[in-house]
Amino acid sequence: MTATIVAQQAINGIVLGSLYVLVALGLTLIYGVLVQINFAHADFVTLGAFAAYFFMHTLGGSYLASVGAALIVGTVLGWAVNVAIFAPLRQKGSELLPLIATIGVSVMLQNAMLAWFGPVPYAFETPYSQRVFRVAGTFFTLQSVVIVVVSTGTIALLYAFMRFTFLGKALRAVAQDRETAGLMGINPNYLIMLTIVISSALAGMGGAMLAPVLVLTPFAGASVIVKAFAIVIIGGFGNVEGTIIAGLLVGLIESFTTQYLDPGWIDIVVFGLLLVMLAFRPTGLISERREENV
Amino acid sequence: MNRRDWLTILALAAIAVLGAGNASAQDKTIKIGALFPTSGPGSYFGAQDKQGVELALEELNKAGVNGYKFTVQYEDSACSPLPASQAAKRLLDQYKPDVIIGEECSDATLAIMPIIEQAKTPMINAGSSALKITDPGNPYTFRIMPNEVMQGVDIATNAYNKLNARTAVLLNENTNAGIGNAKVFKDTFEKLGGKVVAEIGFGRDVNDFTSIATRVAGVGKVDVIPTYTLEGQGLKITQALAQAGVVKGGGGAAIQLGTIWLPFGFEQKAGKAATGYVRIVQFDPTDQRDIVKNFVKNFKTKFNADPTHLNAHAYDQIMLIADVVKRGGKDAQSIRDTLAQTKSFVGVTGSVEFDKNNQNTKMDTIHYMETKPDLTWNALKWN
Repeated sequence: MTATIVAQQAINGIVLGSLYVLVALGLTLIYGVLVQINFAHADFVTLGAFAAYFFMHTLGGSYLASVGAALIVGTVLGWAVNVAIFAPLRQKGSELLPLIATIGVSVMLQNAMLAWFGPVPYAFETPYSQRVFRVAGTFFTLQSVVIVVVSTGTIALLYAFMRFTFLGKALRAVAQDRETAGLMGINPNYLIMLTIVISSALAGMGGAMLAPVLVLTPFAGASVIVKAFAIVIIGGFGNVEGTIIAGLLVGLIESFTTQYLDPGWIDIVVFGLLLVMLAFRPTGLISERREENV
Repeated sequence: MNRRDWLTILALAAIAVLGAGNASAQDKTIKIGALFPTSGPGSYFGAQDKQGVELALEELNKAGVNGYKFTVQYEDSACSPLPASQAAKRLLDQYKPDVIIGEECSDATLAIMPIIEQAKTPMINAGSSALKITDPGNPYTFRIMPNEVMQGVDIATNAYNKLNARTAVLLNENTNAGIGNAKVFKDTFEKLGGKVVAEIGFGRDVNDFTSIATRVAGVGKVDVIPTYTLEGQGLKITQALAQAGVVKGGGGAAIQLGTIWLPFGFEQKAGKAATGYVRIVQFDPTDQRDIVKNFVKNFKTKFNADPTHLNAHAYDQIMLIADVVKRGGKDAQSIRDTLAQTKSFVGVTGSVEFDKNNQNTKMDTIHYMETKPDLTWNALKWN
């Protein structure tokens, strides 16, 4: 019985951790390239969740297609917000203005969603959440399998993009030294826009993956974003590999804390770990030089 | 001054007097302040409460009551103590209501209570269950629903006697109401001879309940799972318990027990997982009393939807105020004093008679419903 429970909570933790990784990756990317925190990331996640919901329930699309739709909505949103708000503020040369603007965008989006979608929680059912597999005393839904597969695929694609494509290398160059990258013929503004677009596309897709798990309201993203920030810090600011490990770790901590302590202890354990990391290993789990991040 | 001038002066004086009379008639207004959550996880309460209030006002203001019309001012109290206190102060300072209705969440209501007592403005509560609201309470706070003890004792007794439950797992959000309700169930159930095999509390930020369902599945045989949480988390808990094969909706044996916190339509959102769910509701739409049939009909006409218990109890709050005005209430103090003497108000949710702590003593506002496989309700008629 104990081994079964341990296996079950490990499965639960990996599924939850995969979702956290999807949300935290976008934050990590933005921090790695722009050294900036995007407080509106949670609302990009929520909007992605709603985009998937309406694509599936109003337009009659399949769940997997709705994930694609959420990704597109995230991409367009990221591009629009960058062009309309972040880029003009960056041009004024202030680091603080875009940071404050992300708070403004967050509040604006949250209230716009409240006006459009209302406060009543939506039930986002997919054909995969009803399909339950029972193996050797454990259980998992087809939805869980989809979450892990899509998360793994996304992480692999992002990693390949960053390591092996010209644009990925250029992004890393901008992360290392924006001015020198500019002197080498790389357009930093274009790459910053690309970073924000990739990050918000990931947020949109993360929202679609989270939607069947989350309590879907206009405030849904806010409930996971605090943990996503903790994951980014535990993993190492801007470090993709660290974020993946930290995301899975936090998912597992949640599952096992629920089983052996109490759900009320989850935040105490996770944020206790965050404080320990800040005190003894402020560079995060993967302590590369910052220029190696992203 | 000639005759024509005198006539003009007289005409103006008459207009002034009539105008003053008119203004006086228009001034005969009972100002109702509504403290409802319209943001955050409990915002569905506010959205549905408003509908009930609007229907009641529409019906009452056609003719008025004792020459009084009713107006309402809403403030977002967010189901949380700090925004609720700020909203209450704003409402009292700016709108100066004669009576207040709300809040829904116990923590928020408890935070508002000293403020309205200081302002000597009565408040009618319909959705908060924490015992402390009326025990000891304060002279200005009235509650028209049974408190957590009345509800908890009733649910635990029915679980033991009617469902033959002997073991239970308690699931509750870590709030005053969640913890309080769970404690009353536990005390009563164990006193009757039942055993609580696990108590699991969680914050409102928990989204994934698979781990909690796993823990419940691991504790062995469970007959009932009383669950005290808001709609969003309630949905996820029910689905996770079904996936884990614990509750009837997932092929298990346990029966989930729910509270009036869940709105109507919960079962349709939860899907098959909700099969076998037994919960109390504050309003029975199948009730054959004329007052209920008219309410259902008028609500459908106005909003093109079936009313929920939140719609119903907000409607009753306004109708109770109208009843008080009919009995002579005209300002904050007289409304408070008349409310306290309420013995036989009949509303759509049930009846109201306040005890010395301003707690409704009537239990006919609690209706037990069981979810059938087609997700409709079977009224259990236990009260």
